[in-house]
Amino acid sequence: MVKSILIVDDSPVARMIMKKCLPESLGITIIEAKNGQEGVEKYQQHQPDLTFMDLTMPVMDGFTALSLIKAINPQAVVVVATADIQEKVLQRVEDLGALLTLKKPPSKQALADALKRAKEALAQVRS
Amino acid sequence: MNAMVEEIFATEEKDILQEVMNIAFGQASADLAEVIDIFVVLSVPNIQVIQGRDLPKYLLEEIHSSGLVNIIEQGFLGKFSGQALLIFPCGAEKVLLNLFNQGAEAVGGCDIDVDTLELETLMEVGNILIGACIGKIAELLQDIVTYDPPRLIAQDFSLEHPKCCPIDENSFAISIRTVFRFEQEDVEGYLFLITNQRSIEWLKKALYAFLESFE
Repeated sequence: MVKSILIVDDSPVARMIMKKCLPESLGITIIEAKNGQEGVEKYQQHQPDLTFMDLTMPVMDGFTALSLIKAINPQAVVVVATADIQEKVLQRVEDLGALLTLKKPPSKQALADALKRAKEALAQVRS
Repeated sequence: MNAMVEEIFATEEKDILQEVMNIAFGQASADLAEVIDIFVVLSVPNIQVIQGRDLPKYLLEEIHSSGLVNIIEQGFLGKFSGQALLIFPCGAEKVLLNLFNQGAEAVGGCDIDVDTLELETLMEVGNILIGACIGKIAELLQDIVTYDPPRLIAQDFSLEHPKCCPIDENSFAISIRTVFRFEQEDVEGYLFLITNQRSIEWLKKALYAFLESFE
């Protein structure tokens, strides 16, 4: 069960789109961060079930934030959300331990699929 | 952001435009990387909207490398119409050609001279970036655009020249500043979308429609 989600993105519009695409009925607690550094801090503070991570951000990029979150909790479930789908980017985020990469802007279906994958990953971690 | 810009775009409109550009630049990175087969990172694009008449002064203040630049221009036509200007400081063409040429035979082995190849490289990079950017904006905002071929309108050109920007003083310029990072090499580039009042009005409505599409 995904009860809390951290959305890390420098764009307030990207965060808004992400929230709009999430199913309302699930009653998920949303935490927001506007750069990688804030994302790591909020991850440590709230320990969310799932983190959506943008890659290109000021202050600290998503690659660094992802690796720091994984250092805090190797079981952290992180979904990268990016418009940049270069093979090397996909490979790098996979190597850093992201569950999957979501292409921006996300569709409701893509987000529902990501949530399903996240639930499965969480169930595996908790079992 | 100055007072004039705030009059053109409200904060929310600018935020939506910024996100559309973020997505467009992400796509442009991927397209460019596919062509040159090396890892490309485009920094978070910095968006400003300025009046056409303020563009020459803005360029002088913002681009302070050697003062000499190359400018590529490409027209686009749709509900969002105008001209795209891609400005690189002189010397960027050499870096880009080297990157395009990595792993290939030495440039001297072909019939075209190096200077021409460097300029052709700039045009190709311009074509990819402008196409990816405008194309993605059009796709996200439900528009269809056609393009003129890109052309080099200024070479080794001083921004102090009074005619550095051949644009209508009453137009608007959406300035997108980014740094292209190609593995070890950084190249700073500036993309300007020069457009008119009618396109700006359409753009504002389209930006809200884009956001509402996620309802």
